[in-house]
Amino acid sequence: MLGSHRRGDRSAAVPAADDTDAALIADLVKAIGADRVRADAAARYLASRDASIYKEGNAGPVCYPGSTEDVVACVKVATRHGRAVSPRGAGTGLAGGAAPLGQPVVLSMTRMDKLLEVDLDNGLAWVQPGMVNLDLSRALAPHGVHYAPDPSSQAVCTIGGNLANNSGGPHCLAYGVTSAHVVAVEVVLSDGSVVTLGDITAEPAGYDLRGAFVGSEGMCGIATAVAVRLTRNPPAVCTMLLCFEDVSDAAATVSAIIAAGIVPAAIEMMDQRCVRAIEDFAQAGYPEDAAAVLLVEVDGASGGVAIASERVDGIARRNQAISVRIAADEDERARLWKGRKSAFGAVANVMPDYYLHDTVVPRTRLVEVLERIYEIVDRHDLLVLNVFHAGDGNLHPILAYDSRVPGVVERVHAAGREIIEMSLDMGGALTGEHGIGVEKREYMERMFSAVDLDQQGRLRASFDPYCRMNPGKVLPSAHSCSDIGALRASDAAGVWG
Amino acid sequence: MHLGLDDDELVACVSCGLCLPHCPTFVITGRDTESPRGRIALMRAVQNEGAPVTDDLIRSMETCVQCRGCETACPSAVPFGHLMEGTRAALAEAGRITPRWQRLALRMLRHRRLLLAGSTLLALAIRLRLVPTRRLGLPARMPLRRPPLRTSGDDVWLFTGCVMDAWQRDVHLAVQRVLEAAGAGVEPTGGAAPCCGALHIHAGLEAETKAMARRVMAGLSGDDRPILVDAAGCGASLKDYGHLLGTDEARAFSARVFDVHEWLAERLEELRSRRPVDPLDVTVAVQDPCHLRHVQRAHQAVPAVLGPFVADVVALDDDGLCCGAGGAYSVMEAELSRAIRERKTAAVARSGATVVASANPGCSLHLAAAGLDVRHPLELVDQALSASRS
Repeated sequence: MLGSHRRGDRSAAVPAADDTDAALIADLVKAIGADRVRADAAARYLASRDASIYKEGNAGPVCYPGSTEDVVACVKVATRHGRAVSPRGAGTGLAGGAAPLGQPVVLSMTRMDKLLEVDLDNGLAWVQPGMVNLDLSRALAPHGVHYAPDPSSQAVCTIGGNLANNSGGPHCLAYGVTSAHVVAVEVVLSDGSVVTLGDITAEPAGYDLRGAFVGSEGMCGIATAVAVRLTRNPPAVCTMLLCFEDVSDAAATVSAIIAAGIVPAAIEMMDQRCVRAIEDFAQAGYPEDAAAVLLVEVDGASGGVAIASERVDGIARRNQAISVRIAADEDERARLWKGRKSAFGAVANVMPDYYLHDTVVPRTRLVEVLERIYEIVDRHDLLVLNVFHAGDGNLHPILAYDSRVPGVVERVHAAGREIIEMSLDMGGALTGEHGIGVEKREYMERMFSAVDLDQQGRLRASFDPYCRMNPGKVLPSAHSCSDIGALRASDAAGVWG
Repeated sequence: MHLGLDDDELVACVSCGLCLPHCPTFVITGRDTESPRGRIALMRAVQNEGAPVTDDLIRSMETCVQCRGCETACPSAVPFGHLMEGTRAALAEAGRITPRWQRLALRMLRHRRLLLAGSTLLALAIRLRLVPTRRLGLPARMPLRRPPLRTSGDDVWLFTGCVMDAWQRDVHLAVQRVLEAAGAGVEPTGGAAPCCGALHIHAGLEAETKAMARRVMAGLSGDDRPILVDAAGCGASLKDYGHLLGTDEARAFSARVFDVHEWLAERLEELRSRRPVDPLDVTVAVQDPCHLRHVQRAHQAVPAVLGPFVADVVALDDDGLCCGAGGAYSVMEAELSRAIRERKTAAVARSGATVVASANPGCSLHLAAAGLDVRHPLELVDQALSASRS
């Protein structure tokens, strides 16, 4: 174990916070080595949370597998001890999907971060699930290709987490979300068997199990290798910053661009409060006096890009844009994107806590939805920062607050509920890309019928009949199999559990 | 245990994780316990939720290199350095970190004559092969004699510090020649300002650091000459006196402090116009010391100053990730420190450069111990200047 030279044998005999885990820990250590297992209170505490406000997770021993064999070994040991398994990438999730429930064995996949093979003939690459999204595109750069889905957290988040949540990103407007970019997945199932879902050469016979697995939030098995599709880098890119005095003008511009038959690579919108939060950090020249800005990117062959950007410019001006700026070079473009992609992290410039929603609404109703969001938030005396993938109507209203203020958390939850219900009433969906996790689980019944949910539970059970894989997520308990049986009672005694 | 951390600073982290790829210990271990986000969550658990200070929690804090790469990566500008210094101060106060032998060793840095004499003895011992230099991360050869410091005018102070003056006085002399070539009369601080206290604050010895800061300020008071620093760690430390002591006097002092490259970058024409210079025929990779890049945020001055004097300057492609030196870190956390260094040496190899320029003595010793040819940037400038002088 790194850094263990002074207290070398301590890690081998890690004192369990929960003594009944001693046998489990000993078996895990025997299976994958002492340097890959942590069971101390600090490690478990940190493995219990992700980037959401959900803080009720409760991790058992934390393993850092280095190979598919390690994962198989951990799953088998956990099963033998009657324990569930919860995988974890970079912990940037916003819905509690990686928050372990009932002290499962946590598999932190960060050490499985290698690019295994670049297969240019088939236009794909095999990667380990712990590889960071941006590291993958950087590693592919010499080949003139990249991995297209680019969540805002792409500098940190892992391919495995993207796979689990079927993540999107600004450029998914034109290129499609994760599911369109995953060709095949090697998966360790709950009985420790290893299967490959999907096929890299041909359309596989039978059901599209790969499709069922993508977005299953760790509940169908642990991905240990992923074949991702490679996307050729566009020969030309034009990034434009459109500024508006009125949020509704910005929203109208979005609809007009799509209506004109242009499919930009990305259309992102930020409101004034969001721009103010990021500009200090990004230094990208975002105007702090505009009510809303759109970041529009068109790419493709250079002739087409020139025409499309001119048309976007015209549409924006017809919709009262106060300025249209085109990024002059790669540096300016990078700074504009850096600003957009730091939005969540920059919230603490405004308030120390935030609760983020991820609903999707029909693009044509954007203006109406935004007005309703501002109205709801005002009524609850809260602050909201709006930043979202405008092109596909995927909203990310960020309710910013200070949890130290008495009563504010209740108001945040009340406003959040209203925003979700309003979005669903507008014909929208519960989540665009962040997943359901535990955080949005209770809303599933609002969106799906009991029959739908039972079917989803059955699909899950066909992968994992004993519900040992990341139990307690997505499906409301009534529609889930014996999840609760797999969960140990949480012994929430004190901060260190 | 209350860590004495500012509540507003402590709550400012929203756990987004954008710091993770910029944290050398997370990049190596992949563990949340060795990440800025995780360390902050643990600080909160202790200070706000009453969690016990376990050995594992202490390890999490001790393994931090204090490079502060997380600060420049943080969109919410969380002052991680202050939080970590505060945490270590509380842990040291409680006797949980920084053992007695380490405190004694650090105390010696304040006593200049003792330090110089001790260094000479050490140099002798190294020559006699009595000291396992590799294992202790010491240079393979140290100077037995040091040329004297000399004053050439009173335009600027050149801060000479403690270990650097004892082990790398040649660098100070080269820097002084470059400053003089730019037209400045230089006075080395020598005994007037024995040690900046950077290693002490890193080890959590806050009261001691404050006393040292007052001594340095007293030694350099009486005028408002710029104080130029050729060691990035010392420069960052001197620039932080305003925050450390919280007085107007300290803030005014800190405003006088410049990294020597920062100062020279403004006077580049002066330096180049004196005489034509043939650039040295070397390709130099610039290693950004963390306390220049992430704390002082003045790293761009180094290639600007160095550029005209060497054939080619190349940047490393590792986003300024720490080299693992971290002052005493390379000794205290040798294994992790070396693992971090391997990434840096790989980045240097990718760059194709034959020489590495480092503006911090700690980084320079640490990288040299891995077999790289490391020079202070101004040593190279001095070499180019003196070649054209002859």
